[in-house]
Amino acid sequence: MNITEISLGGMALAYLLLIFPLGLILWNRIPILGQTLLAIVRMTLQLLLVGLYLQFVFRLNNYWLTGAWLLIMIAVADLSIIRGCGLKMARFTGPLFVALLAGAGLPLLFLVGPVLKKTFLMEAQYVIPIGGMILGNCLRANIIGIKRFYESLRKNQKSFQHMLGQGASLPEAVRPFLRDAYQAALGPTIATIATIGLVALPGMMTGVILGGANPMTAIKYQIMIMLAIFSGTAITVMLAIKLTMKSSFTAWGVLDHRIFKS
Amino acid sequence: MADSNIKAIDIKDLSISFAGQKIIEIFSLHVAYGEKVTITGPSGSGKSTILRCLQGFLQPEAGSIHIAGKPLTPDTVWEMRTSLAYVAQEPDLGAGNVREIIERPFNYRANHSLKANLSRLPEYFKIFNLPLDLLDKEITLLSGGEKQRVAFICAILLDRRIFLLDEVASALDRANYQAVAKFIISRPELTVLSVAHEPAEYDFSDRVVELPYYSRGGGA
Repeated sequence: MNITEISLGGMALAYLLLIFPLGLILWNRIPILGQTLLAIVRMTLQLLLVGLYLQFVFRLNNYWLTGAWLLIMIAVADLSIIRGCGLKMARFTGPLFVALLAGAGLPLLFLVGPVLKKTFLMEAQYVIPIGGMILGNCLRANIIGIKRFYESLRKNQKSFQHMLGQGASLPEAVRPFLRDAYQAALGPTIATIATIGLVALPGMMTGVILGGANPMTAIKYQIMIMLAIFSGTAITVMLAIKLTMKSSFTAWGVLDHRIFKS
Repeated sequence: MADSNIKAIDIKDLSISFAGQKIIEIFSLHVAYGEKVTITGPSGSGKSTILRCLQGFLQPEAGSIHIAGKPLTPDTVWEMRTSLAYVAQEPDLGAGNVREIIERPFNYRANHSLKANLSRLPEYFKIFNLPLDLLDKEITLLSGGEKQRVAFICAILLDRRIFLLDEVASALDRANYQAVAKFIISRPELTVLSVAHEPAEYDFSDRVVELPYYSRGGGA
């Protein structure tokens, strides 16, 4: 690759750009200075650690090490989704982990295997960035979808019970809520797909171009990743709701309110 | 109809607590097939709570409920709900237009065989003083009394034999209430358990049961 290496001095120079947001915050006495500084320190440290670790992972390119990295990403996504939904950890961590593993794993392996034709399916250089992009997007979609599903069941308890009272089975009674949750979860991804390239050059494409590839290769990668994200989103949201549903209703078909944190 | 010893509704020594407060304490009630019974009592005496228990949406602390001779359990409740109809004080029927709301339950597997009943819809709209053009209106735009009558018509079309009515008189004007009462009286096979705090609702009742107020009792 013919990408220009950033020197240490150059990197330090880049931090000078912070003058503008920090100046804005200080000048207007916006009470987010501490938060901002902490965020910047966190970003630097987190990425530094990830960089060091990835160097190591890429060099070894080992099946287990790459797999472990993927599992850690899934676990982190798992916990942040549950926190983002305002749900209790204990009940949701397990089922959601399975949903994310299947939903991110399937499109990922499909890309690395049949599409990119890598004989070694755990090729770190591909698995880690692509897996990360799929998971990152699943994360947002899952928070929206799962939250919408359970919150709207809680809010519309009366109409839900009315349907049960009219003889609906549990799957029949949750159907309108499921439909609504899927729509909410998939909506943002569909909107992104529709406007991609017009509003901004997407991250992956930018990366591939900076890496020295020609733009046509870059868009092929971008299309591939968008399809994987969309597919991963659909699989994870569907599985996440279906799998968590099992423990979220009482035997009487009533939503168990103990699933909510508040 | 059935064995005369078997009651349509049999509530024995029911105690219900909600959010740590005792709402109903050792309450028993037997309703025979075809009987029309009204439970009355002050607001907050837990009348509506009994109806929620009968549908399995709230579990009693103690006591038992039998419907048509069968005990109400998580296994039987699904089948029992197909013999009960609940009409709420302010029904929340979901989203969609009135036609969709009325047709929706007929798509449930348990009600598939009842689909032909939908042809009688215009007849019941007339009986309950609802104009047919209401069918294309969004359900949320209907008044409380209109929603109540829509829920009532749903229950009739679904061929339910046990009606649980929650303060039906409260949202209906006199004429519409009369239409409902007249219909109930004209159907000897209907078992009706209603809760009310106004004597106006006693019209169609064979029997009125007074519920005592359990001191700090919570929501109605």
